Amino acid sequence: MSYTEEQIADLVQPTKVHRKVYTDPEIFDLEMERIWAKSWIYIGHESQVPEKGSYITLNYGKVPVVMVRDGDSHVHVLHNRCGHKGAKLVDKPCGKIPAFRCCYHGWRYRLDGKLLGVPHMQGYEGTDFDKDDPQYSMQKMKSESYRGFVFATMNPDGPDVKTWLGGAADVMDNLCDRAPGGEVEAAGGVLRYEHECNWKMFIENLNDTMHPMIVHRSVVDSALDYIKTLPEDSPRRDEAEIIPPFGASYEVFEETGITGFPFGHHYDGGKTSIHADYTLDPDYEAAMLKAYGKKRMYDILSFNTHNTLYYPSLTIKSAVQNIRVVRPIAYNKTIIETWSFRLKGAPDSMLKRTLLYSRLINSNGSMVGPDDLTAYFRIQEGLQSQASDWIEMHRNFGRDDELGDRTVGKGTSDLDVRTQFSAWRQYMTEAA
Amino acid sequence: MATVVTSNEQIREIEQLLYKEASFLDRPDLDRWIELYTEDGTYWMPAIPDQEDPHNHISLFYDDRVLMEVRRRNFVHPAAASKEYAVRASHIISNIQVQDSDAKSGACTVTSNFHCYLYYRDRQTPYAGTYTHELVREGDSYKIKSKRVDIINCDAALNTIIIYI
Repeated sequence: MSYTEEQIADLVQPTKVHRKVYTDPEIFDLEMERIWAKSWIYIGHESQVPEKGSYITLNYGKVPVVMVRDGDSHVHVLHNRCGHKGAKLVDKPCGKIPAFRCCYHGWRYRLDGKLLGVPHMQGYEGTDFDKDDPQYSMQKMKSESYRGFVFATMNPDGPDVKTWLGGAADVMDNLCDRAPGGEVEAAGGVLRYEHECNWKMFIENLNDTMHPMIVHRSVVDSALDYIKTLPEDSPRRDEAEIIPPFGASYEVFEETGITGFPFGHHYDGGKTSIHADYTLDPDYEAAMLKAYGKKRMYDILSFNTHNTLYYPSLTIKSAVQNIRVVRPIAYNKTIIETWSFRLKGAPDSMLKRTLLYSRLINSNGSMVGPDDLTAYFRIQEGLQSQASDWIEMHRNFGRDDELGDRTVGKGTSDLDVRTQFSAWRQYMTEAA
Repeated sequence: MATVVTSNEQIREIEQLLYKEASFLDRPDLDRWIELYTEDGTYWMPAIPDQEDPHNHISLFYDDRVLMEVRRRNFVHPAAASKEYAVRASHIISNIQVQDSDAKSGACTVTSNFHCYLYYRDRQTPYAGTYTHELVREGDSYKIKSKRVDIINCDAALNTIIIYI
């Protein structure tokens, strides 16, 4: 069937959503056109293309793209498609090139995508083929960078990135401000984790504070059970600060709060979060103090969020300095990438802790991520049942505070999911 | 460590240890598996080929004794939803080569190739690659001081790896 705009609007109600938003391949295709091609999508960080000719490749929705730095140090996001027959021009995850050259007929392009040369041009003489016609160049996507984080969109009319981020930009600022040098850079590689579930199940879990004490009880129990056997004077371990807070009580999570923004963004925490009690590395503290002074340092380090979603593609942990990137493949398949970041000017121990966190919590081999994924694929399979068409999202409905540019609720509120679906409905029903 | 010619007896002993370790992971029996490691033993699965170290780059696994002890408990914890499914493996180890060995202490570095089929959640997944074991003598027998597992698709988008390979 094909959905009318009204039928799509009806899939999202104030306190429930229809199961088809997760199970219908046609809805997935519409999401790619109407959400993923209209919103700002995270491409990568500028530090991943440090020099002239450095590039990374990825899929923007289903579209192959390349982010590349040109000779003037500008970063471009280009369609990774030859203007001739359409072959992808580069196909490694990352690399460095003097110019683009197609592997098939050798068409060459400048690093900003402009077609430079076509072999054996005589054959085109007297035809209306014009090498300088922009349609034969690599097509440029609209892109913008915010503190080194590069976003792109296919929507020529949308808001700029700063407007789109709104108040949620505070968390990205906080991530960068946590660097004594005021900047971060991608470091320590990426983990790519295949999830056999709809992309929305992953992002709905980010601020779902009702699940950790259930889903992660086993790893928290196991860690505490082992810690019990250790002598009291055992050396401090970062793991012992990272794992147990996943078992925090409803009351603790309630206290952290959730804040929602226009365009579907939200975060949990602020004054406190499950990352708030990490030991402050003395060398890091000294570097921060020197860079910012006492008051500013305190302000930066006491803004403690847990997960922040920049709907629909990017989620960051400012207090941990890692991000996860959502790459939807099909209605029931999503790749989640985990990237770690170095705080410029901070001691190496900070990156090591970030990588430890990424491995301990987000890795395919971790004792945390696989239990979350189990819940997601069970939902994906369970929703094949037609016992009910609806999934509820009532928690704290009507009790969140509308504060102009943001909505604030208790930590266990479903306001995060309601925020996402309000954006979903708007993107999906706006006239294309 | 000086490279020395190893005796058939020593090679046989090393083989038997690798096979025993594989058989504990086949079941899997982490309580017995962990006993094959020294107190400071580590299990490492890098996320890229030729990864230089486990601390400055992300890895799929890097467990020392503390995390092995947590994982051993977690693997059989009744509340771990991801562990509700049967986990069965079959490891084949071959091409065993002693790369380095110390005649005096008996300590050695051993590489081998492995194929492992892992059955989990109605799905059978093949893993293949190279093991690098650092073995040390403790009393009459060898123990594992470190195991590095380089799977050939370590940098691909992988699903959950539910247990040590």
